[in-house]
Amino acid sequence: MKVFLIFILSTLYLFFGYLLASEAIVVTDSLGNHISVKLPVRRVVALTSDALETIRAIGAEDLVVGINKNIPKEPLFWPKLKGKPVVGNWMEPNYEALVQVKPDIIICYSRWGKGIEKKISPLGIKLVRLDFYKVNSLKRDVNTLSLLLGKEKEGGNFISWYQKYLNLIKERLKNIKYKPKVYIESYTPFHTDSMGSGGHEMCLLAGGNNIASSIPIPFPRVDPEWVLDKNPDIIIKAVSINGYELNNSTYLKKIKEEIINRPGWENIKAIKESRIYIITSDIWAGPRAIVGIMYMAKWFHPHYFKDLNPEDIHKEYLKKFHNLKYRGIYVYP
Amino acid sequence: MFILKIKCQRKTVKRESIDIYELYKGFTGRKILFIVVLLIVLPSMALVAILQGPASIGIKDAIFSLFHSSTLAHTIIWYLRLPRIVMAILVGIGLSFAGTVFQALLKNPLASPYTLGIASTAGFGAALGIVFNVGILSQYVIAGNAFLFAILSSFIILGVAKWKSSTPETMILAGIAIMYLFSSLTSLIQYQGSMEEVHEIVFWFFGSLSKVSWKEIAIASFMIILPLPILLKWSWDFNLLALGDESAKALGVKVEKTRIIGILLASLITSGAICFTGIIGFIGLVSPHIARMVMGGDHRFLLPASSLIGAILILMADTVSRTIWAPQVIPIGIVTSFIGVPFFFYLLIKRKREYW
Amino acid sequence: MLNIKQLDFNYHNIKALEDIGLNLNRGEVLSLVGPNGSGKTTLLKCINRIVKPKKGSIFINGKDTSKMNSIELAKQIGYVPQATPSKFPMTVFDAVLMGRRPYISWRPTRNDLDIVAQILNVMNLKDMALRDFDQLSGGEKQKVLLARAFAQDPEILLLDEPTSNLDLRHQIEIMELISLMVKEKNISAIMAMHDLNLASRFSDRMVMLKSGRIFSIGNPHEVITSENIISVYGIDVQINKDNNYPYMLPVKVADERR
Repeated sequence: MKVFLIFILSTLYLFFGYLLASEAIVVTDSLGNHISVKLPVRRVVALTSDALETIRAIGAEDLVVGINKNIPKEPLFWPKLKGKPVVGNWMEPNYEALVQVKPDIIICYSRWGKGIEKKISPLGIKLVRLDFYKVNSLKRDVNTLSLLLGKEKEGGNFISWYQKYLNLIKERLKNIKYKPKVYIESYTPFHTDSMGSGGHEMCLLAGGNNIASSIPIPFPRVDPEWVLDKNPDIIIKAVSINGYELNNSTYLKKIKEEIINRPGWENIKAIKESRIYIITSDIWAGPRAIVGIMYMAKWFHPHYFKDLNPEDIHKEYLKKFHNLKYRGIYVYP
Repeated sequence: MFILKIKCQRKTVKRESIDIYELYKGFTGRKILFIVVLLIVLPSMALVAILQGPASIGIKDAIFSLFHSSTLAHTIIWYLRLPRIVMAILVGIGLSFAGTVFQALLKNPLASPYTLGIASTAGFGAALGIVFNVGILSQYVIAGNAFLFAILSSFIILGVAKWKSSTPETMILAGIAIMYLFSSLTSLIQYQGSMEEVHEIVFWFFGSLSKVSWKEIAIASFMIILPLPILLKWSWDFNLLALGDESAKALGVKVEKTRIIGILLASLITSGAICFTGIIGFIGLVSPHIARMVMGGDHRFLLPASSLIGAILILMADTVSRTIWAPQVIPIGIVTSFIGVPFFFYLLIKRKREYW
Repeated sequence: MLNIKQLDFNYHNIKALEDIGLNLNRGEVLSLVGPNGSGKTTLLKCINRIVKPKKGSIFINGKDTSKMNSIELAKQIGYVPQATPSKFPMTVFDAVLMGRRPYISWRPTRNDLDIVAQILNVMNLKDMALRDFDQLSGGEKQKVLLARAFAQDPEILLLDEPTSNLDLRHQIEIMELISLMVKEKNISAIMAMHDLNLASRFSDRMVMLKSGRIFSIGNPHEVITSENIISVYGIDVQINKDNNYPYMLPVKVADERR
């Protein structure tokens, strides 16, 4: 009799234990690979700031156990996370630190950081590659993340929020005939964005014509003379600085002046008509790209977006999804 | 009997000395001819290069734009292509001249302008400017730093020379040590930097002629051209150094002084060449060799010839770098090796004698 | 015309030369002999100012060499080192022309070229004038180096073991050339020699060095004696005086006596 009871109890125990402990799901990452991850995920490390921002946007901030080395440089934007252990970044993960924080999953970019899987799989950590910097794949990436972290509802909210604005822009630009010629420069001088990059995508969505779109690689370095020859109507320069932490626009102004002073560039239409805009990386090619796209749409087609203020949308985003007050400088002028 | 032989030869000496004289003159004449040919090739190439670029400008338009400053062609030619071409020529001359001098002073055919560590220290200075924005000359932080640290490396070498010994071997070893130290320091800075800053540092090391304007050319030419006549005047001393320090001293060369001042001046030239354009490699090493294969080791001819060859090579490399995948610009440091190496191999195979 | 007084030279705290004093007259050929490490080459380099002596003075024709600049000194002293491989290409003509450097400012004059041509003729080097120096045989190279020293038009020739590594014919040829030049131009020569017989045959006077000091000085008969050779070289020899110079035949290593 006793033996029988023990047998029943242990079976039940094992059965329920198994049920609780090892529900696993299979998700698809940004590369299209299928990764099996054991749920629930309680400890997360995001090696990229884009991923970290999305995690907080879907309300999973408290699952973060380790941060990348750029986060402490932005204390205003990350008040709660700035004290967490630093584990390197997507270029150079600090494996020892990773082992110490014991995450269940690590998130990093799909294109860079090859070889991380090999290093962490013996440690029992799963690597999920989610980009978050391309608008076309953002929905899928956010969905995957929400599934993993058990925040499907919040993820859905975030997606529908920005989708609302994307559709708005698309709708208003539905019948436009004219698209301004745009030269995009992201970060390093003379490096432009072409097919396959986030910047190119944003330009198209905002109704612009990227003069570099025929170059076959995503981040080519170009001849300054070619820019002169193409004579763009608008120049957009993305700088890698966090607008949230900025107190004034001195730095952005300096960047603009450097471009205006390039030899021979005073002849470019965009410079002659003073249609050159500097934009910070927070709202460029990341989960917050919608704000950047909104600014760009307003610059490209001011007539169609007179009633919209990108700053308002930005405020909304920060309050709703990050519980932060709006501050900082993101564009110049 | 021997003395008798001498007396007989005395009579024919006059005639025979004329023969040798003619032979020697012919030999020298060939060298001068080669330099003249180079002097013709270089401007011709420059003229062709002016017409190359993603914005297609034909010969007629180019000539027209010379007189009409309002056209787009004028802007492109005068403010974008010509500065590039002139800088390419300047840098080619500077690096090759300095390379030749370094090879003579260090008595090492493998020496280049970067043997004594200049590339690493200049790169470190540039990295400091790029990542931390600290350094001299706020408008030209990167270039100013690169220059400052490049000169610093030569001072370190000279300090070692004065303090320990000024043999070429000591200096080369010191240069290697400097190179490793500053490379590590640069890597440390890169580690601190953001992705874009690292990107920019890496591209600085590739070398680039895209950002030069006439102002930079004026500054650079000051530093590159000024030391040239002084070093050229020492051509004989460079010739003699090839005989060995002792023989050179015995023939009246102030070996230590020549070596120290020569290295300082050649470093100045190199620093001037790289501070605005980054590290362009291979040219300073290979131009002297190409020149030597054609005209031997007399520095009176070697120095000008090697400079012209270097200028031609860089000009070719620059033109290729911006036309082969237009409108993309391949960093010039990458192209110089591709242009120089096959040419160098060709000469290596065709030459008739071992020569070092 | 060459006066050396109380010359000392230290090499890393080792006394390489101590209290060297000697005089050389015009038209004289003087050999320095002594075992390896006795200081022969060092002494030559001191005279030449390739190295600086610790103490002592050197006068040429009454002028103190430490007060001369290097070009002036190069016009006075022609140095013939041992042939070493050169890393860079050079023709024979150019190699000899280098000797005219103290007189050339930029372009060699007609006169310079004539002098070189003449020397090449006299020394039978005319046919290889445009050949690469490195491709010559040891003997030919040594001749070229000698020619270079002649081109300097010096008052004194300094030769560092000019006959080592040469075949018999070239040895005699070089020695005869040196004697000839010294007599013809009324200059003098100091040669560091390892071959005692050649030295005694072709020298007017000899200096035997031992451990950096002068052991014996005088004409060959006075210096090449079996007592001297035992003391300095540690070998028993037989001296043959049939010709007008002493010829020494080594017999055996001497027993350890001193």
